[in-house]
Amino acid sequence: MAGPKFKTGLRLMSGNEAVAEGALYAGCRFFAGYPITPSTEIAEVLAMRLPQVGGFFLQMEDEIASMAAVLGASLAGAKAMTATSGPGFSLKQENIGYGCIAEIPCVIVDVQRGGPSTGMPTKPMQSDIMQARWGTHGDHPIIALYPDSVEEAFWETIRAFNLAERFRTPVILLSDEVVGHMRERMFLPKPGTVSIYNRRKPRREPDKYMPYEGGAQDVPTMAAFGTGYRFHVTGLFHDRTGFPTNDPAIIESELRRLHRKVDRGYNEIMKWEEFFLDDAEEVIVAYGCTARSARAAVKRLRLRDRKVGMFRLKTIWPFPDRAIRQIARRAHTKLLLVAEMNTGQVLGEVERAVAGKCAVEGLQRLDTEMITPRQLMRALREG
Amino acid sequence: MSCLDDFAQYPPEWCPGCGNFDLLDCLKQALCDLGLQPHEIINVIGIGQASKLGFSLKCNMFDGLHGRALPVVLGIKMANPAVKVIATSGDGCFYAEGGNHFIHNLRRNLDVAILASDNRVYGLTKGQASPTSASDFKTKVHIEGVGALPLNPAALALVSGATFVARTFTGAKAEATELIKKALLHRGAAVIDIMSPCVSFNKVNTFAWFRQRAKPIGPDHDVTDLHAALKLAFHDDEHIPTGVLYQTRRPVFGDHLTVMQGESIVQRTLRFTPDRVRPLFKDFY
Ligand SMILES: Cc1ncc(C[n+]2csc(CCOP(=O)(O)OP(=O)(O)O)c2C)c(N)n1
Repeated sequence: MAGPKFKTGLRLMSGNEAVAEGALYAGCRFFAGYPITPSTEIAEVLAMRLPQVGGFFLQMEDEIASMAAVLGASLAGAKAMTATSGPGFSLKQENIGYGCIAEIPCVIVDVQRGGPSTGMPTKPMQSDIMQARWGTHGDHPIIALYPDSVEEAFWETIRAFNLAERFRTPVILLSDEVVGHMRERMFLPKPGTVSIYNRRKPRREPDKYMPYEGGAQDVPTMAAFGTGYRFHVTGLFHDRTGFPTNDPAIIESELRRLHRKVDRGYNEIMKWEEFFLDDAEEVIVAYGCTARSARAAVKRLRLRDRKVGMFRLKTIWPFPDRAIRQIARRAHTKLLLVAEMNTGQVLGEVERAVAGKCAVEGLQRLDTEMITPRQLMRALREG
Repeated sequence: MSCLDDFAQYPPEWCPGCGNFDLLDCLKQALCDLGLQPHEIINVIGIGQASKLGFSLKCNMFDGLHGRALPVVLGIKMANPAVKVIATSGDGCFYAEGGNHFIHNLRRNLDVAILASDNRVYGLTKGQASPTSASDFKTKVHIEGVGALPLNPAALALVSGATFVARTFTGAKAEATELIKKALLHRGAAVIDIMSPCVSFNKVNTFAWFRQRAKPIGPDHDVTDLHAALKLAFHDDEHIPTGVLYQTRRPVFGDHLTVMQGESIVQRTLRFTPDRVRPLFKDFY
């Protein structure tokens, strides 16, 4: 096998292709999935590219198996991912929950299409925002990112892997049919110039290894199965040894640690874009494909001397409460307009974060067509 | 009497040359020959190009989820065993995503006619291998081949407990039509694996490939002999026996349940007369 091969320099590629390339840069060496529109190109690129860099690719019999295989590969030490869309994302949820409580780093890509159910396979919606947060049962932390361009799809995929490894947790990379299928120019950096985080390995001797001891950062070190360490992994509540426990005190403290490790990482995890916000009176809150229209609307309104800006979420979960609250508190902020292709899944979060500090309105579209700049301008009473 | 036009609905949108056109014709013909009316049939489909057959067949339709047709059939049949239910979908839908449901509903001998349009590829999602693709079949995501044995639908159906197992080819329309009629008349789990060419994504198992290999089972075969049926199921790829491999009778799922005797649960009215309720209360007080 030849050494890792990476394309570099300026390229024209789709968002789905960029996700696949980003995964390779991040060190992903295992993919298991099941074809589904509009995510299939991620698998198609990785089927070809993973073997070139010494990685493994497999189409499984369904999405449940795919997600389980990803967990197994990660536990055995390989950075692993899967990619799907709505119906498949639903099927993966039980295993994602397992990944959360067993603290198994991995990346799950959900290229959103119209839903619920089979909905509209070939067109975008942004209605899996809450599913990314609460799709699996139980009270668990989760990290979810959502790029809005091809270039950012590449970088956010790398960030998804880094965060997964850093916090020992599944990370969900949201995308949508528009971001996944559109083609844009982007720059692929030289490998080695991208910073990559790898899971911390235990330093202790194997017989003293505690697979679920949070340590100073609440993130346990992680040995790979079959590398001299012997440990027990379970979806049951467990103590720091990894073995099941029904001790209420330990259950509570372990679940608290699980949440704390992500809460404490707020600044590391949180990323957003501020576009013309310095003096903005009206702020469009947007993400994914909708943010592209929001950017256009802001530019047009600025030409008319309207003090309009955009707050774009890149990290969706945990929710950037503090950042949004700060913007709402600015004296010049009058309105937050949350634009999204769902019935207000982020709107409710924004309202919660803002807590009445400024007016909040929603602009929603459910017809699988993108929200247009004109629609946004009209919502800001300028057509 | 019904005629073919009674079952016509939206015109299909498959590629010219797709085996599903023939399957649709055969199914309509079979329904007509049996004198069934569109309202008397429920078609439960999964997702895939084969499933889309359902859009072109006028009858009651449950357009279900990928892989999940059969548990829906179970629900329908337990609520109202009198209705005639067929399940139409592809090899990926029945044998991969729905593999588990396939096995367990055959164990149950669920009363349903399962028509699996088997093109040995995923058509709808544009050309990935299916469970019935050959192990050296190459696709965009199987660049070095599948590397797993192709699933043998007839053998799996036989060992899972299907009480009618047949195989046919969309190019053999008379045979396919007769088999569909038999499956519809059969009481219990009837499986027909219907070899069907996909002109766009399977350049190996083409119409000609199937036609050369499909060989009707001779008159000597005893369809009640499970071992003989299994022998036919394990064909070599040069001679694929078509026709009824196996047919037997055993109780269908629900026959063992007291609640399923007499009128169906949907016809039954809930009668909370004092003499029926009093003994229930006695349990608690
Ligand atoms: C849960 C889920 N996963 C994946 C898909 C995408 N999908 C739809 S049909 C299909 C496979 C189609 O193959 P097959 O069942 O053999 O039917 P064909 O199109 O070849 O007739 C897939 C992967 C889906 N709709 N739902």
